[in-house]
Amino acid sequence: MTELVQAVVLGLLIGGVYALMASGLTLIFGVMNIINVAQGAFLVMVAFFTWWLWRETGIDPILASVVTTPLMFGFGWVLYRTVMVRIRGWSPSMSVLLTFGLALTIEGILNITAGNKFKSATPSYFEESFRIGSLSFPKAQVYGFLAAVLVLAALYVVLTRTWTGRAIRASSHNPSGAALVGIGATSTAALAFALGSSTAGVGGSILSVLYPFFPASHYDWISRLLGIIVLGGLGSLPGALVGALVLGLAETLTATYGSLRWATLVFYLVILAVLLFRPQGLYGTRLREDVAA
Amino acid sequence: MTDPKRRLVDRLPKGHAVALLAFLVLVLYPAFRPYDTYYQTVLCITFLLGVQAVSWNIISGYAGYVSLGHSAFLGIGSYTAAILAERSGVNPLWMAPIGGVVAVVTATLLGLVVLRTRGHAFVIITIALLLSAQIIAVNWRSLTNGSDGITLDLPPWSRDIQNMPFYYLFLGLFFLTVLFSALIRRTKLGTGLVAIREDEGKAAAVGVNTTRYKVTAFAASAFFIGVAGGVYAYFLTFLNPVGAFTILGSVTIVLAAMAGGRGTLYGPVVGAFIVGIGQEMATVYGGSSSRVLLFGVALMLIVLFLPAGLLPTLDGWWRRRHTTGTEYQDQAGALGAGTLQVRDRALASVVVSDAVEAGAPAALPMLEVKGAAKAFGGITAVDGADLTVAAGSITALIGPNGSGKTTLFNLVTGAMKADAGEVWLDGTRIDRMHPWQRGHLGLARTFQTTRLFTSMSVLENMVAPLPDARWSTMLKPSVAGHEADRARELLEFVGMARFVSQPAGSLSYGQQKLVELAQVLMLEPRLVLLDEPAGGVNPSLVGRIVEIVRDLNRQGVTFLVVEHNIPMVLELCDPVVVFARGKAIAEGPPQTIREDPVVLDAYLGDEWRPPAASAAGPGASTDATQEVR
Repeated sequence: MTELVQAVVLGLLIGGVYALMASGLTLIFGVMNIINVAQGAFLVMVAFFTWWLWRETGIDPILASVVTTPLMFGFGWVLYRTVMVRIRGWSPSMSVLLTFGLALTIEGILNITAGNKFKSATPSYFEESFRIGSLSFPKAQVYGFLAAVLVLAALYVVLTRTWTGRAIRASSHNPSGAALVGIGATSTAALAFALGSSTAGVGGSILSVLYPFFPASHYDWISRLLGIIVLGGLGSLPGALVGALVLGLAETLTATYGSLRWATLVFYLVILAVLLFRPQGLYGTRLREDVAA
Repeated sequence: MTDPKRRLVDRLPKGHAVALLAFLVLVLYPAFRPYDTYYQTVLCITFLLGVQAVSWNIISGYAGYVSLGHSAFLGIGSYTAAILAERSGVNPLWMAPIGGVVAVVTATLLGLVVLRTRGHAFVIITIALLLSAQIIAVNWRSLTNGSDGITLDLPPWSRDIQNMPFYYLFLGLFFLTVLFSALIRRTKLGTGLVAIREDEGKAAAVGVNTTRYKVTAFAASAFFIGVAGGVYAYFLTFLNPVGAFTILGSVTIVLAAMAGGRGTLYGPVVGAFIVGIGQEMATVYGGSSSRVLLFGVALMLIVLFLPAGLLPTLDGWWRRRHTTGTEYQDQAGALGAGTLQVRDRALASVVVSDAVEAGAPAALPMLEVKGAAKAFGGITAVDGADLTVAAGSITALIGPNGSGKTTLFNLVTGAMKADAGEVWLDGTRIDRMHPWQRGHLGLARTFQTTRLFTSMSVLENMVAPLPDARWSTMLKPSVAGHEADRARELLEFVGMARFVSQPAGSLSYGQQKLVELAQVLMLEPRLVLLDEPAGGVNPSLVGRIVEIVRDLNRQGVTFLVVEHNIPMVLELCDPVVVFARGKAIAEGPPQTIREDPVVLDAYLGDEWRPPAASAAGPGASTDATQEVR
């Protein structure tokens, strides 16, 4: 029983982090119909940066997200304005190919600059745990979870309580309608892309503590994140949350009762099973398309 | 002025001739230089890449569903052949076809799950496929020997001839793959795949079983890669999970197809040579560590600056240099054309329509909608609507904008699923059927904003519709014989016969409307839903459309027309159904509707003066075609 509770709690903790990482991806898709395959590479890039910052200055890696988040926001904004804007209105498959190219480029640059070795940030609390009764919670996971929930909450507030957020949501529901009421499509899209990228700032910093990483790790991460948003339904934020928790639970439960090696496979099987009954994902919707100009 | 049709005919064989010549050179090359082992090996890898890129192009080029995990099939083929050869002691080359079969089975099963919907789950699942395959290969040690990999026996042939057998095996597979891709493109399957890429919803509406097409394409795109995988395993004599299921393999496939021209027959072939030889040069001169960076930058540059790929870009450049004369619509021809003959399926319901005309009680209505409802979030577009369309009638559906007419069309054709209610077509309940199944039963529609397949020629658009669900129909040549004649005949009736070989996207809006009308008639429909047929069409052609509709109706085709051109509706249709707020509020002959106070209140408004305009039929004057606001 303890084993089960422990696995579930750990699953939810890691699921919270996944939720944050996936929310950026689903936000970008919802607003722009862009599947940002480079989101995983963003994460790994930030993890390397955080690791370097921690080694050089001793700044706590999770706390470093205070720096990396705005940096990634700016990075995302510039990237959208210079590169992504060129493929606006093209078919989404081109965005897949473009961001795939971007992911490889980042991986290639990391290979050259940071070296093709596993890294991991190991602050003092790295191997410590909180204990409640017979349950133990690794401190790194708890801190990571708290940071993720904090940023998710902030993202929620931005999306629902600010004009910018409403503009982003309006654009994701009806781009041409939003343009008619004075919401500039390009600037809104740039903001959404920047916001989506900024989640990779926090996410990457948390990642640097929780998992060892190297340049090619981004394949694992992007396939996890994409799996989450397929499971939840592309473009749906609640879907991303639920999908992330399912992934977290699938991983810890498989690790506890089976072997960690099969965890990813179990998650993919869950996705296939869900798609079998709900082809559009858990929260996915099909909108009318015949009148979309 | 050159005849565009003839130019096309001239150009095609030229491409094939060049390809055949290149193939012959490659066949003869080892005979002249048998000891160029290095170059032979580079070419082997290039041919292998060619097999993969050409195969990838079937699902990701023709059908437009990008796969980023296609190298998984190479690994699957490799492992299948290697494991079977190891267990049985038979030469791996004999097992290679089984590798192809396993790849096809994998693709089919996966496709059946993820290709049922439109959208982007597919690309994501392909990445997952590649990683899952690697996980299985690493962890299922009893089968795959895990990370240690499998070592195969060396080939039995003399070391003198080195890679020559592999050279010819890969070249042969490459040749077969190109042939296979060309055959697919020539069939209705190929046209259907391009139609899916262009507009999947529309493809389903004209009878294309999109799920079956996509799954077939995915399976077809896996076969030769799987076979080549078996050969490749033997070529390397060693395989391990990291090497067999590498994402870089997928990257080269995507890069090759994109560079040469996605969606064209020879684009991926050309691309394979560019990328295959290019990556070898990059390794020699730049070292293998920079390969990832190089591929990434190359892919980004291609997407941004050469999105169509090399061959289509060159082709477009050539066309701009050699323009042809512009064709104009054959209005006189269209107006002068005689009666349009419908065929078998429509004629089957003539008996019923006679009965209706004779005043006898109608056997079954052609279309019956019972209590249909559809809401988008908080907005109820269709609210428990009932609608009956008598067989043999031309029923009009009018109503203010936003009253739910088009949504009702979508529920009837299956473009959307109703939240509640039933739809019956001539005694068959159809609301649980796929759109294409409804098309096969004789239900056709045109769209408010035309939805032709813009990159296809007008003729290809005409032959894209599929009248039935038989596999044999799917594998027939796309433009051939009887059907092509019928297409030309129909185009003549709408005055568009001169445009057969023009891309549909280059036509004006009104011209597209006419082609779309002709296109759905290819389905030999029994019931045609017309969504604003007169919108954007010039007045005399509106008259022509009215005539065509009448002609067809006389021969048994039933029509349901949504139209804002009230004079046309009143002249053409009987009965008229008025829709408001998601349900029918009035129904009756045009004269009654025109004077119904409920209708005047909801739709026509006080300004409508019935006697003034009803005398002037549509087409008689431009005033008569004014739209009701």
